[in-house]
Amino acid sequence: MFFPPLSKILDAFWGGLISGEIPGHVGVSLWRGALGYALAAVAAVTLGVLMGYWRRVHEAGEILVEFFRAVPAPAIVPVAIVLLGIGDGMKVFVIFLACSFPILINTIDGVRGVDPVLIRTARTFGCSGPAILAKVVLPAASPFIVTGLRIALAIALILVVISEMVGATSGIGYYILEAQRTFKVPRMYAGMLVLALLGFALNRCFLFVDASLMAWHRQRAPE
Amino acid sequence: MRRIPWLGLLVVAVGLIVWEAAARAHHDLAVHFPPASAVLWALGGIVWSGELATHALASLRRFAEGYVLAAGLAVGAGLVLGLSRRLHATLEPLIELLRPMPSVAIIPVAILFLGIGDRMKIAVTVYACAWPILLNTIDGVRSVDRMLVATAATFRLSPWQRFWKVMLPAASPQIVTGLRVSLAIALVLVTTSEMVVSNDGLGYYVLDLQRSFQMAEMYAAVVALGLIGYALNRLFLLLDSRVMGWYRGATRKEEIP
Repeated sequence: MFFPPLSKILDAFWGGLISGEIPGHVGVSLWRGALGYALAAVAAVTLGVLMGYWRRVHEAGEILVEFFRAVPAPAIVPVAIVLLGIGDGMKVFVIFLACSFPILINTIDGVRGVDPVLIRTARTFGCSGPAILAKVVLPAASPFIVTGLRIALAIALILVVISEMVGATSGIGYYILEAQRTFKVPRMYAGMLVLALLGFALNRCFLFVDASLMAWHRQRAPE
Repeated sequence: MRRIPWLGLLVVAVGLIVWEAAARAHHDLAVHFPPASAVLWALGGIVWSGELATHALASLRRFAEGYVLAAGLAVGAGLVLGLSRRLHATLEPLIELLRPMPSVAIIPVAILFLGIGDRMKIAVTVYACAWPILLNTIDGVRSVDRMLVATAATFRLSPWQRFWKVMLPAASPQIVTGLRVSLAIALVLVTTSEMVVSNDGLGYYVLDLQRSFQMAEMYAAVVALGLIGYALNRLFLLLDSRVMGWYRGATRKEEIP
């Protein structure tokens, strides 16, 4: 049967959970995703602020960004395999690249959209360049940056799964695909359930952090 | 008329030169990362031989079918769910359950039910694309200012006219946002499903070239994929400016001087 009863799926889910098998795969997937995501966040926000604030920098990088952005993320996987083999490095690299773009684009958007009056006012108060960036531009752009980070979170999860389906021997993506290949159908659905729960949990965490850090900002920027 | 981005082009040119020089100077690097000239030559080769075209057309066909089908179904469903509060409330638990799961995880299920052919690839593309379109459409419809609709009613517009001439245009920017997001998603899903199980299409092609160590050709194919993605994006923007010109003009953001 291709659609086993819910009891069997939950059985497989529970069994995988307590045997430690599922947590093992989830742990590996999370580790890859978190590393790629964190690297992307740091790099893309930095570059985004630079490109958003200085027109020259934006002009310089725009063509490259627009081109690389258009390459569908899975296509990077074979390239990454060539450059980095089929280990964790490859996956982290792919996740890093894929997550960078939404964060970058949104950060640029946010920084560009900062009201110039705010910046000029800060200057008349004698604020130095870096201080303006830190105290005016960054907070003003933060709703956009947060949007980018949220989109990138979903993308990170997707790329974790993709990179594990195409070249891996561990991780939740591998788990699901391998279950399908060996026709262990309840296991496959259990894996999908795990993924759904994982996605849900990550979203909740993000919303929680977002609410606490962004409490000062009541109005959300449109997506 | 747009200014020519000289600085950007300069950066690209410098990048290409550095790439070429580095690959030529270090032979070990060149094995994994051939010089730009080699990649360009390979690009010409795969275009000329027709190989690229064959795979590109296969992918584009799946992309088009999946995207159009998803758009039709999701916009339709989104409109219905946006308008009917009761229906939305009924289906909301299901939506919230499925929504956090990354859509690529549906590929193994799809393989199980639909095999490894085109139908499977189109089906997963439809599934993945439907979500942003559906959610954005529901959102767009629900956030239409009721005042607009009420005003239309006082002008004695029929329900159908109120829908077609007021509600739909008011919701359309959000719907278009959903359509734009799922454009990229469609490409991702088509590529991924071709990598996981296929024997044609650009996703398969890139992976196959990697496995047979045809490095220059592989990079060329990735470049080609990027160009196709870029072209699709531009096409979308073109259609968008035609259809949504009224909205874009009215809501254009001011540039920082």
